[in-house]
Amino acid sequence: MHTVRFLARAAVLAAVMVAVGSVAACAHAILVSSVPAAGAVVHDKGGRVMVRFNSRIDPVRSRLLLVRPDGVSTTLELTDDVPGRDTLTATISELTPGAYRLRWQVLAIDGHIARGDIPFTVAP
Amino acid sequence: MALLLDIFGFLSVVLRGLVLSTQSLVIGGIVFLSFIVGPVAQKLGSVGDAAMTRGRRLLFWSALTFAGAELAFVVLECVVLAGTMGIPLSTAFGAAFARFGLVAAGAAAAIAFLVRSGLMRTRIAALFALALAALAAQVATSHAAAQIGSRTVLLIADFLHMAAAAAWIGGIPYFLLVLYRTDDARAHALVGRRFSMLLIWTVAVLVGAGLVMAVAYVGSVDAIYGTAYGVMVATKVVLLLALLFFGAMNNRIIARMTRDPGVSVLRVRRFAEVEIAIGFTVLFAAASLTSQPPAADLLGDRASLSDIAERFAPRWPRFTSPDRDQLGLFALQKQIDAAAANNAPRPQAYVPGEGILPPRNAADIAWSEYNHHLAGLLVLAIGLLALLDRAGKAPWARNWPLLFLLLGGFLWIKADPEVWPLGDVGFWASLRDPEVVQHRVFCLLIAGFGIFEWRVRTGRITSPRAALVFPGIVALGAALLLTHSHALSNIKEQLLIELSHVPLALAGMTAGAARWLELRLDGPGSRVAGWVWPPAFMIVGLILLLYREA
Repeated sequence: MHTVRFLARAAVLAAVMVAVGSVAACAHAILVSSVPAAGAVVHDKGGRVMVRFNSRIDPVRSRLLLVRPDGVSTTLELTDDVPGRDTLTATISELTPGAYRLRWQVLAIDGHIARGDIPFTVAP
Repeated sequence: MALLLDIFGFLSVVLRGLVLSTQSLVIGGIVFLSFIVGPVAQKLGSVGDAAMTRGRRLLFWSALTFAGAELAFVVLECVVLAGTMGIPLSTAFGAAFARFGLVAAGAAAAIAFLVRSGLMRTRIAALFALALAALAAQVATSHAAAQIGSRTVLLIADFLHMAAAAAWIGGIPYFLLVLYRTDDARAHALVGRRFSMLLIWTVAVLVGAGLVMAVAYVGSVDAIYGTAYGVMVATKVVLLLALLFFGAMNNRIIARMTRDPGVSVLRVRRFAEVEIAIGFTVLFAAASLTSQPPAADLLGDRASLSDIAERFAPRWPRFTSPDRDQLGLFALQKQIDAAAANNAPRPQAYVPGEGILPPRNAADIAWSEYNHHLAGLLVLAIGLLALLDRAGKAPWARNWPLLFLLLGGFLWIKADPEVWPLGDVGFWASLRDPEVVQHRVFCLLIAGFGIFEWRVRTGRITSPRAALVFPGIVALGAALLLTHSHALSNIKEQLLIELSHVPLALAGMTAGAARWLELRLDGPGSRVAGWVWPPAFMIVGLILLLYREA
């Protein structure tokens, strides 16, 4: 019985200590491509935005935000005009010149939440 | 909420590791009790009965912990998902990972319920069905499930890989329960032979399925050393080889026991103990792997062979530290303060735990290298003194564990300059950063095992169990280092830093296992192990002395 207790304590200690050492990269879904691309300068005042990932994503539990030059952010309504389960698309309009950010957050099918920013500039 | 998301990322891997470990204990337990010891329990008499009773108890608690960890994982993930997305909690619970997670938790709870009262034939079938359901639910939320192309082959490979790993690694603690129960060599030989046969099949399946996944997820030779995912897969292979080594040793002893009942079981027990430590380290490494994108998907930011050769070219260690005010973080803080004083727009500041890399300059690199080099010097001295002590030439050398106090104190102060005691972030606030928490835990571990081992070495503690704290913590520290990764670990620079952690962890595991075997074995085995671990410590010291970040 002592041996079992000793083993149990050792196992719990091992699990806790090793667990404490684990760190998530928290970044399973990788951005493969986007429109506009990161750092792009666009001349249109609107159009379609698209982000594509390396894994299947859950579109119901993913979102795109547009952060405008004044810092105000708008949640974009996702459209369903692209086949495949790895892409989010939306339409933006009425862009004024300045620095924008397309902020994405996705839930991959494997349960990992990932997020990131795509900076782009609207030319005067 | 941004901070919560990153802390949650850390917690989710902790829970994932617990899920994988307990899942393995459940599957390994069901296989062991049903196929290995169950059919021969009557032949074994009271040993068989005791092995079944204790095995069922371990299986019960493993299943209960599995269910709890899985449930906690789903709930926490859903809370964060709902919070960050601004969606109702009910919508978050509708996600695939939540539904499959609840299936796994339910199956685990049902296993715990069923196993409480005996293992009749019908019950065994139900246990297997539930275990397979839990495993299938795990696979449904794996990298394989998230693949864009055809998933069938990878889903099957993942299922087989996890099942084989669980049957092997998860079965060893149950085997150990039999080994502990009796000194009867015939009983050990009977159970050992059956377990060895199972292991041959599980290793074949594990390696075969692992190869399929390695080809798909790693994809090329340069991804093995050029990405964090590839490096972790390679490390798992090295640990697998260590497991196979101890498994093969046990196989040989069991074969001898079959022919000669006079052969001692001691070495089988001790090798199985080391196998458990290595095996569960592999499972936590696997949990850490699931949070990283497959190497095949990471086409940019890879390290080349020339990058690695350049980084690991030996250079004279650095024994002077730059001033704290020269560090990038403090330079940025000064800039922020100046901007605030002038009422100018603030540049973005780094918040620990946010997941954004802090600014780094040459002084930061020099600071970190100095920390590693001084720590390396201390560890090298520890190894040398331990070797002197082992040789019995210098009685004063037995005080070598006191150097760990110096090491722990040094790292506590210097590891994280932005937090207490050197920085402006308070002690409790700093614990929100997973990396700081890891460093703090390391420092406490170092000081703790230093004191313990010194008391053991100087005869202040005479319990043989107290002596096991040292090798146990060395092995745990090494395992911790293996799952330790800095934020955004796939950036090339971070990978080059991580590359030096792997040999450190492997040398640490070797030192811990060898010291454990020195204490737990007798005769030549103990003597050989006693000469292995001090040089392993010296290797750790040398790697630290050569550590570079640029």
